[in-house]
Amino acid sequence: MAKAKVTFSDVNVTVNVPVGTRIIELSEAVGSYIAYNCREGDCGVCLFEVIKGQENLSPVSKEESSVILTRFQEIMDGWRTTKSLDALQEKMQRENFIGKHCRLACQTQVFGDVVVAPL
Amino acid sequence: MTQPVWLSERVQWIGALDPTMRSFDIVLKTPNGTTYNAYAVRGSEGVAVIDTVKEACAEQFFTRLEAVASYDEIKVIVLNHLEPDHTGALPELMRRAPQAKLYISKSAQLMLKALLNQQDIDYTPVGTSDTVSLGDRTLRFLHTPYLHWPDTQCTYLEEEYMLFSGDVFGCHFCDERLFNDKVGDFRFAFEYYYAHIMRPFREHVLNALAILEPLRMNIIAPTHGPILRDQPKRYMQRYRELSGQRLQSEVNADEKTLVIFYISAYGSTTQMAQMIRAGAEQVAGVRASLYDMEGGDADLFVDLVEDADGILIGSPTINGDAVKPAWDLVSSFAKINVRGKLAGAFGSYGWSGEAVRMLEDRLRGLKMRLPQSGVRIKLIPSSEELEECRRYGQEAGEHLMGVNAPRVLDMADLLASRQAQV
Repeated sequence: MAKAKVTFSDVNVTVNVPVGTRIIELSEAVGSYIAYNCREGDCGVCLFEVIKGQENLSPVSKEESSVILTRFQEIMDGWRTTKSLDALQEKMQRENFIGKHCRLACQTQVFGDVVVAPL
Repeated sequence: MTQPVWLSERVQWIGALDPTMRSFDIVLKTPNGTTYNAYAVRGSEGVAVIDTVKEACAEQFFTRLEAVASYDEIKVIVLNHLEPDHTGALPELMRRAPQAKLYISKSAQLMLKALLNQQDIDYTPVGTSDTVSLGDRTLRFLHTPYLHWPDTQCTYLEEEYMLFSGDVFGCHFCDERLFNDKVGDFRFAFEYYYAHIMRPFREHVLNALAILEPLRMNIIAPTHGPILRDQPKRYMQRYRELSGQRLQSEVNADEKTLVIFYISAYGSTTQMAQMIRAGAEQVAGVRASLYDMEGGDADLFVDLVEDADGILIGSPTINGDAVKPAWDLVSSFAKINVRGKLAGAFGSYGWSGEAVRMLEDRLRGLKMRLPQSGVRIKLIPSSEELEECRRYGQEAGEHLMGVNAPRVLDMADLLASRQAQV
């Protein structure tokens, strides 16, 4: 079976995994700071940062991108004053944030080498 | 008493009294029952119903509602929180007032579908900048998630400086006099409610207070317990106190704290705890401390855990299990937020030694981080085994400070090491 290397930079652990593995299957077992809650793509808690190898991850779905955005709205500085969600979404997509640098661990599958970290 | 109660010329309480309830959601004691508060707001262009009641109390709610408005006047239904004690009467209300538009927080959408078991529900998801107009009255929504569910929000009636706060600032206290300046002494209920419902979400309480404190406030109208019209800000201030630090911490910002709890029958687990502490203290920036669970109880220790960065628990194995004080400590973690904290377990045993792995599984289940496999030692620790404890403590310290050495593993080994009982 094809293999990939997933490095969790916060705990300094690299795991050799079969391709198709989801990040969340590993993050808990290695004790990474990547938190989680529902594991079903609803809550957005397992948001993590892709440091290297974004092209080696499964593509982001519309649902995942919408959950990430909602989550950002909560955690970003200044979210309370954000008047327009659409403007924020546009800005974040333009800056390659959603779906490139930031993903949900429960939704993202690995197809090649990546380096990841908690956000 | 099935009359509505006036909060102002345009706002009425249309909730329900439940004086005989004695325990709520299994986990809370309610010595004098509770109330489910719902409200009707009348504007020049229609009526808004804010929250509903538990299904079993729906009759009271509809009787009061019918006394203040006819169903065809209802333009808006606001749900600040979708838990069934506030949405039990919703399906019937939607049947009786089919024209009314439903307003819920953005995070409540999937819950609404699961609650009504219906996919094609017409509703409007709202966030902090959104308002809905009733003509000469305006409702403004405030995004205050995780108080105490992901979906929770507050609704502010702008013209009257009135906050419909949902469960925030609520308590289980049933008194038909309804207002905080009329009812009996409900302070214990207010504190008890905070401690059991809001405390696990302390960070979210602080975020919500930052939004709510600047608002001018004539009345806070929560979904349970007295309506706070006399000095409402006092209750916000109390939340601020309860969610703050207790004593100024002596730990510096660049240091991390590790608390090590242990209990020991013959002193072996004590020796292990001492060596683990010594190992952790070798890492610069770690402040480690030891607590014998025999000398305290979970209610006291949980405050320590709330502020600690890492928690290790040492228990011997007796009759194939960790001992009760260890489980009592772990079950008290539900009162606070431990998610993401470093955790681990260790212990000596006589002949079977299940305690450590059982504790580790439970700690992982609480979404704590366990980057190391805990130390298990048969009977009296040898000098090599004590060295293993020192190393375990040192590695825990390194994980806390983020200075641990790189490791490479295979996924199969990683998963196997977690399941191994030996």
